[in-house]
Amino acid sequence: MRGSAPLRTLALFVFALSLAARVSAHDIPRDVTVQAFAKPEGTRFHLLVRVPLKAIMDIEFPRREREYVDLARIDPSLRDAARIWLANKIELYEGDTRLADPRIVSTRLSLESDRSFATYEEALAHVTGPALPDSTTVFWEQGLLDVLFEYPIQSDRSRFSIHAAFDRLALRVVTALRFMPPGGIVRAYELEGDAGLVRLDPRWHQAMRRFVSLGFFHILDGTDHLLFLLCLVIPFRRLRTLVPIVTAFTAAHSMTLMASAYNVAPDALWFPPLIETLIAMSIVYMALENIVGATGSGSGGSGSGIARRWIITFAFGLVHGFGFSFGLQHTLQFAGSHLLTSLLSFNVGVELGQLVVLALVVPVLDVLFRFVVAERMGTIVLSALVAHTAWHWMTDRFGVLRQFPWPAVTAAGMATLLGWVMALVALAAIMWLGSLVIQRSSEHYVGESR
Amino acid sequence: MRHQGRTRNLFIGAGFVALLATLAVGQAMLERTADAQTNGAVRAPRFEVDPLWPKPLPNHWVLGSAIGVWVDVNDHVWIIHRSSATLAVNERPLEMKTGDCCAGAPPVLEFDQAGNLLRHWGGPGQGYEWPDSNHGIFIDYKGNVWIGGNGPADSHILKFTKDGKFLLQIGKKGARRRAGAAAGGNEGDVAGFVGGSNDPDNFGRVAKIFVDQKENEAYISDGYLNKRVAVLDADTGKMKRWWGAYGNKPDDTPLPPYNPAAPPSQQFYNPVHCADMSVDRLIYVCDRVGDRLQVFTPEGKFVREAFYEKDTLNSGSVWDVAFSRDVQQRYIFMADGVNEKVRIIDRQTLQELTTFGDGGRQPGQFYGAHSIATDSKGNIYTTETYEGKRVQRFVNKGLAPVTKQHQGTVWPSK
Repeated sequence: MRGSAPLRTLALFVFALSLAARVSAHDIPRDVTVQAFAKPEGTRFHLLVRVPLKAIMDIEFPRREREYVDLARIDPSLRDAARIWLANKIELYEGDTRLADPRIVSTRLSLESDRSFATYEEALAHVTGPALPDSTTVFWEQGLLDVLFEYPIQSDRSRFSIHAAFDRLALRVVTALRFMPPGGIVRAYELEGDAGLVRLDPRWHQAMRRFVSLGFFHILDGTDHLLFLLCLVIPFRRLRTLVPIVTAFTAAHSMTLMASAYNVAPDALWFPPLIETLIAMSIVYMALENIVGATGSGSGGSGSGIARRWIITFAFGLVHGFGFSFGLQHTLQFAGSHLLTSLLSFNVGVELGQLVVLALVVPVLDVLFRFVVAERMGTIVLSALVAHTAWHWMTDRFGVLRQFPWPAVTAAGMATLLGWVMALVALAAIMWLGSLVIQRSSEHYVGESR
Repeated sequence: MRHQGRTRNLFIGAGFVALLATLAVGQAMLERTADAQTNGAVRAPRFEVDPLWPKPLPNHWVLGSAIGVWVDVNDHVWIIHRSSATLAVNERPLEMKTGDCCAGAPPVLEFDQAGNLLRHWGGPGQGYEWPDSNHGIFIDYKGNVWIGGNGPADSHILKFTKDGKFLLQIGKKGARRRAGAAAGGNEGDVAGFVGGSNDPDNFGRVAKIFVDQKENEAYISDGYLNKRVAVLDADTGKMKRWWGAYGNKPDDTPLPPYNPAAPPSQQFYNPVHCADMSVDRLIYVCDRVGDRLQVFTPEGKFVREAFYEKDTLNSGSVWDVAFSRDVQQRYIFMADGVNEKVRIIDRQTLQELTTFGDGGRQPGQFYGAHSIATDSKGNIYTTETYEGKRVQRFVNKGLAPVTKQHQGTVWPSK
């Protein structure tokens, strides 16, 4: 008996190998989209999931002639697939409590042309309705697995979170999840791979924390925004001069960031490259202005110099705000019902990031101009370096922008354009009024100093 | 000084107000003009060629005459082409081992929306007879791939999985061979074959297939030798019914050459080149050489017809149709491989609204615009036969007033 152990092990190994070869006869798919609806109802949380059958590995689906699925015998395999590849990969939380494994209410094999996952009601009716007739010929890899899971919950008003680790289903997995809490709201999420824990209905402070962090790291990741900031402050490093300039930038980019979040920005393919080009242009302009003569204060700064710079900063800040919005677009899905809070938090994060950068850059510049190079020369050299880099960005980005056709000139298009011109004129009027106020206060300050 | 400053500021402020008021008036007038334009004009979808789609093929592969295109439920674009059979020796030195480039690509190719090649397969294999000259491709609601063929001996159609696994052959190759003609001899001898438009088991050089999900029936454009639309059970392949032009019983008696001045033929010319079903369950049949589109009920009852560029001779003007993807399918897109254009037709009236395309080899032009299909976003895909040998995408730019009857090459404007 003892002597046969290696043989038995070998036999087991060969058997396991042959089984593996048999059941994983297909490759891991390249791209898979998982569709899901999550709906808490009373004391039950219903999760409807649809996944292409080709993404399910290591499960044997009974087949008949020509590899068609044997629909009469398929239910146990579908349930195994639902449990192993879906339920076991999902962690659902009610508040902070992880819910127990779900009950598989129903499974269905569907044709790839089936469109019932367009709405929750249709999907539910489909999954709990009649199955395909057993005589239907479906090649096994061309079917879809539909599952209805049910989790017992305390209340449908609880705050739910989900972690769907579907990343092993394919090389690239996108999960389109629609969360439908009571009250008729639908929140759509598009999650890539394993997106971690997603709070389906975050509290305001949870959304705030997430978006402050996003804003903070977004500005630190954005070299172009940082270079713009550097250009702004090279000649204006005193607190009195920094405050209006940074405030102008902040106010302006907050306005356009929020406008974008509320879908005011043009929804055209040429818009992002236009904004990216304008951002690069703003850096070039600001660097050139530093070279040809912006003086501020490192050495004091004139009132008109500051006024000029904050006005320009405000204008360019509007452009940068659109740029920030591109980074925010995909993450706004995590805002829950706190869109405004999240936007403001993102702005706060951006400001915090800017402050950290300024806190580092301003003393370094002071030291540099004091001990290494004369301020004027240093300003010119630093600005020239920045201008050089931004010039290349500008030409590269303009190259991308040029690939987009000019919109056709139509009366409707011109009307839209006039609307934007009106908005800009109104902004210019506001800025003019602002500059008057600053000028007055500056004169008042100078008068008092005398 | 202070007084002067106040006056200046007053003027600037008034200037802002006046400018805003002027702009507001201008915008209101433009909006009114836009409304008037929208309400009065005939509108049709506008397209622009996407010169960057698809991406270059791998392995130095090149396309042969491209004679079929379809878009599946995932918006993947499937084409079929004739590969090396239609490539000159100097187009495929890699295959001939005389140089580094190029070789014929496999006949069936699947592209994603980004233009990446996903799957490729096709050609002779175990258990089925690959057509001598493959023709037409269709992906049914179960994800199966259907292929016809218009080679001299092709009298059958094939069904595969998306991975190219063989599922079903309907009809037998060579079934249309004339009695007494040498079997297995010269398969290219067209004269050795005779139409059999009332044969319940075999076809006569099938151009295209369309599967109706509701009834699980396949509509066969049959074809280059037969003169009928045949309807099959899509699972078993059993033929259920067929009909000819105007719903007549098909007759294979040779027709005189198409004459635009003569009364319309009561039979289809060869080839019957498309038979596609619309959302309201009407069958649109391309009588390619007859320059006409005939519309039928699924049972084969004639509904109406329309002619397009009726003076077109030889290969005709009605090659293939695809429907717009709005709920009502308001528009028909028709490929015309002689006049080298795509017609945009109002499906309700069958009237041509506008056309785009022109002959040539640049993006947006055609040489043998053969097949046409649409994706869920309303984009159009075309394949070209003869020496055209390519697939193109035309991006849907939305509805626009028709300002030109013939738009020519819809090059992306800069």
